[in-house]
Amino acid sequence: MGDTTAPRGEAQALAVEQRWSYRWRVARSGALMTLPALLVIALFTIYPFWYALNESLHLSSPILGRRFVGLDNFRNVITSPYFLDAARTTLIFAAIAVPVLVVLGVLVALLLNERFPGNTLLRAGMLLPWAIPASVVGVIWKWVFLDSWGALNAGLYSLGLIDNYISWLTTPWLARFAVIVAFTWSQLPLVAILLLAALQAIPDELYEAAAIDGASAVSRFWAVTLPGIRPMLVIVTLYEILMALNVFDITYAMTGGGPGTATSLLTYYIWAETFKMLNFGNGAALAVVIALLALAFIAAIVRALPKEALLGEHA
Amino acid sequence: MRRRSPAQRALIAAGAVLLALFWFGPFVLVGIGSVIPEGNLLSFPPRWFANPPFLGNYRYIFTGEIPQTYLERGALRSMISQEVRLVPRAMLNSVLIATAVMFSSLTLGSLAAYAYARLRFPGRAATFNFILVSRLIPTVALAIPYYAIVLRLGLLNTHWALIAIYTVLTLPFSILVLTLYFRTIPAEIDEAAQVEGASSLQVLRHITLPLSLPSLVGTGLFTFMLAYSEFLFGLLISTSASTRTLPVTLGTLSTNPDVAWGLMMASIVVGSVPTLILVIPVWRFMVRGLMSGAVH
Repeated sequence: MGDTTAPRGEAQALAVEQRWSYRWRVARSGALMTLPALLVIALFTIYPFWYALNESLHLSSPILGRRFVGLDNFRNVITSPYFLDAARTTLIFAAIAVPVLVVLGVLVALLLNERFPGNTLLRAGMLLPWAIPASVVGVIWKWVFLDSWGALNAGLYSLGLIDNYISWLTTPWLARFAVIVAFTWSQLPLVAILLLAALQAIPDELYEAAAIDGASAVSRFWAVTLPGIRPMLVIVTLYEILMALNVFDITYAMTGGGPGTATSLLTYYIWAETFKMLNFGNGAALAVVIALLALAFIAAIVRALPKEALLGEHA
Repeated sequence: MRRRSPAQRALIAAGAVLLALFWFGPFVLVGIGSVIPEGNLLSFPPRWFANPPFLGNYRYIFTGEIPQTYLERGALRSMISQEVRLVPRAMLNSVLIATAVMFSSLTLGSLAAYAYARLRFPGRAATFNFILVSRLIPTVALAIPYYAIVLRLGLLNTHWALIAIYTVLTLPFSILVLTLYFRTIPAEIDEAAQVEGASSLQVLRHITLPLSLPSLVGTGLFTFMLAYSEFLFGLLISTSASTRTLPVTLGTLSTNPDVAWGLMMASIVVGSVPTLILVIPVWRFMVRGLMSGAVH
């Protein structure tokens, strides 16, 4: 008996040891393979954030040099009427643009989910606005909305719909409208395609069952379609809120934040404060504020996602 | 297929027409604008179609030959922006930078993605989440520190600075997509090779990467497009004419009140060519990925 158990014990010990050395090797290659990417990302995320935080607590001036000023920069920017104005403009922009995008996205996805001639052409056409650099999107729509000889004015005039050209880009609310149109144009493709993917994942049986129960098209939408795409709706909405808070290229090229400050979003305001006014301390304080705002949204997104949706079950 | 009532069919037709106008309308207008002589473009009432199509704007971008119509109207000659002549150079800069970004992002990305898809190691979930979340920080919050870092390293006005920054900006995307793709490859194939004594790196190089070719192409082209389109950092970091990228050249041109819009629009058409060539394979890959992801 003893003769047989001893070798088995040794074999087991050997197997355990092998498993441990295998695990160790796997862990080592895992760490080594992720290291380059992690180092690069950490270097360009953690250090800049620390730098911004540090800069936001100092005042740098060519005459007085650099000195610690505590939270003065934060007090300056948060109480500044320009900041409040830019924050209000950004909120208005996001509060209009995001619901418009999501509603249009659902409508476009429903449309493209139907069979009709030209469907493929429209799906392919979606890639055009999506693929154009956002600064160029701004330029394209600037040409459409231009006050003195823009395409829209020329078109409306030629059709006899207006007698005088409309000052689209120099009237505050019309300029905001124009920027929202341009933003919608560039973002709608992604929203629509994500919602279309969600629509196509809804099992046909649910619709058939609803049809047998005598549900109308409208009630089928509320009872089957909407619950089916709800998770994607949440993700798309949060993502577009982040995008709306990030808009810079479009307003830079299209309106330059104007007229006045009508389309100066927070991003544009930070850029102008830092690189036009050369006030790095205030700019850094603003950057910290907007990064914290974004982190709040990120936390919301992470909560909305199902746990371990991306890494898989064995995390 | 369900039968549709006439009302439903009318609704679908109307929606399709409106959508087509919205998608394609601005491009058509830019195309038209690029072939209208400046004088006709600026006239009131509009005289867009008074003359046959005019290709002088395109000729000017590539050869520097000033269009006849501008010479005729001497007063408008100053409106020809010299900067438009920088468009071909800017395209070259953007293509060079975007190509380098594509390769560096794929190299670092596939290494990390293999580890996240296949290997267990401490900190796996935490670092993966960190990488994904890092990309959600608004870029404008990073602008000042990046500018300061690049300035201190003496890399202002170089392609290197933009290549490094765009690699960081695209890496989270590459890692996410490649991780998801690598996980769809049966692990048994890896294990068979490991039994033969292959290291993780060898498995990645000889088995996983060849099997992931479609995904690598799609991800690579997508990172190319992101790098090709980026504006904010390009604006801050490449200020000299010889390193400036295409989006920056076009974006700043439009803020120049002296620019001739016919030239502006011809530049947009020319500058959009690389993106339009790339967009079809990218889109196919992305849509296929999204659809299969949703079904699964």
